[in-house]
Amino acid sequence: MKAIKPLVFAMAAVAAMSGVAKADYIAGESVTVLQGFKAGGGSDALAQLTQPYLTKYLGADFVNQYIPGATGAIAWTRLAKQTEPDGTTISITNTPMLMTNYIMNDAITYSISELTPIANIVTDPGIIVVAKDSPYKTAQEFLDAARKNPGTITVGNSGVGGDDFFSTILIERAADLQFQKVPFQGDGPSWTAAMGGKIDASFNNLGITFPQIQAGNLRPLAIFAEERVDMLPDVPTLKELGIDVVAGSSRGYSAPANIPEEARAQLIEAMKKMAADPDFQKDAAARALFINFKAGSDYEQFLAEQEKTFGEVWEAVKDDVQAK
Amino acid sequence: MDQSVVLIGLANVLSPMNLAVIAGGTLLGLFVGAMPGLSATMALALLLPLTFSLDPATGLSMLASLYLAAMYGGSIAAILLRTPGTPAAAATILDGSPMAASGRAGRALGISLLASFTGGLVSGIALLTVAPLLGRIVLNFGPVELFALAVLGITIIGSLSQGSAIRGLFAGTIGLLLGTVGMDPTTGTPRFTFDNIHLFSGIEFTVALIGLFSVPQAIRLIETSQVGQKLASRVTDRMLPGLRDTLRLAPNMLRSGVIGVVVGLIPGAGGDTASWFAYNEARRFAKDKSRFGKGEPAGIAAPEAANNAVVGGALIPTLALGIPGSSSAAILLGALMVHGILPGPTLMTDHGDVTYTLIWAVILANLALLLFGLFFTRIAVMVTRIPDGVLAPIIIVFCVVGTFAINNSLFDVIFMLGFGLVGYLLDKCQVPLAPMVIGLILGPVLDTSLHQSLLIGQGSWGIFLQSPIATVLLLLAAVSILQATPLFPMLYRRIRKRRNGDGTDPTQMNKTD
Repeated sequence: MKAIKPLVFAMAAVAAMSGVAKADYIAGESVTVLQGFKAGGGSDALAQLTQPYLTKYLGADFVNQYIPGATGAIAWTRLAKQTEPDGTTISITNTPMLMTNYIMNDAITYSISELTPIANIVTDPGIIVVAKDSPYKTAQEFLDAARKNPGTITVGNSGVGGDDFFSTILIERAADLQFQKVPFQGDGPSWTAAMGGKIDASFNNLGITFPQIQAGNLRPLAIFAEERVDMLPDVPTLKELGIDVVAGSSRGYSAPANIPEEARAQLIEAMKKMAADPDFQKDAAARALFINFKAGSDYEQFLAEQEKTFGEVWEAVKDDVQAK
Repeated sequence: MDQSVVLIGLANVLSPMNLAVIAGGTLLGLFVGAMPGLSATMALALLLPLTFSLDPATGLSMLASLYLAAMYGGSIAAILLRTPGTPAAAATILDGSPMAASGRAGRALGISLLASFTGGLVSGIALLTVAPLLGRIVLNFGPVELFALAVLGITIIGSLSQGSAIRGLFAGTIGLLLGTVGMDPTTGTPRFTFDNIHLFSGIEFTVALIGLFSVPQAIRLIETSQVGQKLASRVTDRMLPGLRDTLRLAPNMLRSGVIGVVVGLIPGAGGDTASWFAYNEARRFAKDKSRFGKGEPAGIAAPEAANNAVVGGALIPTLALGIPGSSSAAILLGALMVHGILPGPTLMTDHGDVTYTLIWAVILANLALLLFGLFFTRIAVMVTRIPDGVLAPIIIVFCVVGTFAINNSLFDVIFMLGFGLVGYLLDKCQVPLAPMVIGLILGPVLDTSLHQSLLIGQGSWGIFLQSPIATVLLLLAAVSILQATPLFPMLYRRIRKRRNGDGTDPTQMNKTD
């Protein structure tokens, strides 16, 4: 009997809280989130961070469904083509993979025109990291070496089609350099190889490599953000070095095309409230996730720009990459 | 190492809640492991989201104990039903199943349990004592070294092809070729995908293995169900081996445990190959090789000690550096990330309380495994009392459910059944499936690491000789291949002859090579 009392109180409290919070999402009481990657990955980290807040502001429960495979393309194809556009099913959309999937493979047939972009939540800026005992102490030394020995400096990326692969090419084009690109199966193996001195540098992401940078195992040379970041105030941006490249890996939410306007508005509103919530901002910072909030048409524009950039880049380098 | 976090971890793990989840995880793992078709990978993926609401240390303890218990559980099905309960138990069939067929199922299960316990304990102690030291080793394994390791792994095919080298190589080649399906790791070009996006990520090894082993066995059960011949159906003999047997198996179990730790340690090496490596070494060290494949205790102890040791081994770089040693360790790392703990070198210091709780949980889970394993196994043996005609469809149902749950994909289910038919046909043609499994696991590793190595070496094959580790591994591989050819015994005999000045009994050779 003793145990029951607090339980009743807790239930009452939960009921009261949800009573206040429930904004009554027009589409239904629960929203299914299709995840294109395995549970416990980067997308899942975003899902687990955002969903308690989204439940609070939208008044609906979130149910994650993991459909890994083809770098997210299986889940996104289902979202675009086989999902009832009623607002009860949405997906976490990662850029640039969302676009590069179908840019690079004709067999992948969805496109962003078949989606309703809701909001981008986070962007993990790109970063150049080298081993702690690397001869390259600064970005300038690294870039000079690359200029002197074209095509011989080995640079790891997270895989063909990923953000690091494309940022490497963007940097090569902007600075007229040539690296020896080595694709790995994800960000982890790429920075591990750099840390072990197996490759000269890894083009990676700030949030992913930050624990190793903090421990002194990896040295950051430059980040691909608009401005310097608070966590690493001494690390220059590529823009400062005269290379006009801003790149990273972004994650947000999208729904199928043509969902009811009211559902779209409510989803965007809930995301906006979440992004403005100081608790959410604190939680995100603790997980080394960088909020880069772009809602509705801003997100749509962001996706369209990315599609254009990566489409052009791939068109230019395609023959070169696939000839190897 | 800060002593206080080690003790805090021990105190944490002894809390009633943590003890309860370790017990629960162990029982669940035993069940999932023992069921053909339900794999540890699947159970971890399903359970992970449930642990998000738990305290991080508690959630991790549960996942780790489940994983460990499933590694032993897998051998129950391998021994009693001749189908691996989890992919890592595939090697246990070779000697476990013949032993059970000769009426010593209890003894086989006892050896497996003791070996699993020993292997798990070896890796748990390694984790507790030398993890930061061993973790650094991982950094020495880049693409070049990984390629050399995979080449060494491939040579196991040779010794698994006993009886017919041609059939073994044929199966190994098919495995390697199937490993190339999917997007090319260096160019992004889809290979053998027939424009089907479900094939873009390649063939999921667990899916293939469930099909290859479990479906043919189910069909065989139906075929023989009318004959009325049944495998050993009850544990009449004492399960755990006696002191003398234990001492005789001890070197083997320890060696296999170390192999498991090392293979688990190296990211991307394919932890499921550890049991094959260990089996191969057990055979190499054995005095009488002819007994392998016919119910040799060492052939059960080796793979089982190794696959449990992989669990702790894979956690070493995960916890020491934030580099997951296996895909299952990556799942545990994901659990930490979701809880807001950033994976990295601070896991053992800043988050030492959580990390050491997990490490103690791994050690404690081994004790739970030994305890519950004894009871669970006796119950599990009742499976063999179910008529084969009933058992077969149950196995198929589990295969379908278990395959679907891995990726929530119906395509995988169809694929699994396809593999089942292929496995059945190959078995009818007496093509061994073990080499195919090695090919399937190591094919993608070889493919990726070769590409990467050549990119790093600017296209020069000399890169493999510039790395001392890679050179040694490749030399070992060369010796391993030579050993399987008639050349090696010939050379050996000649050297012996010259040294002794007279001819030696050819049977002596086996004892020392």
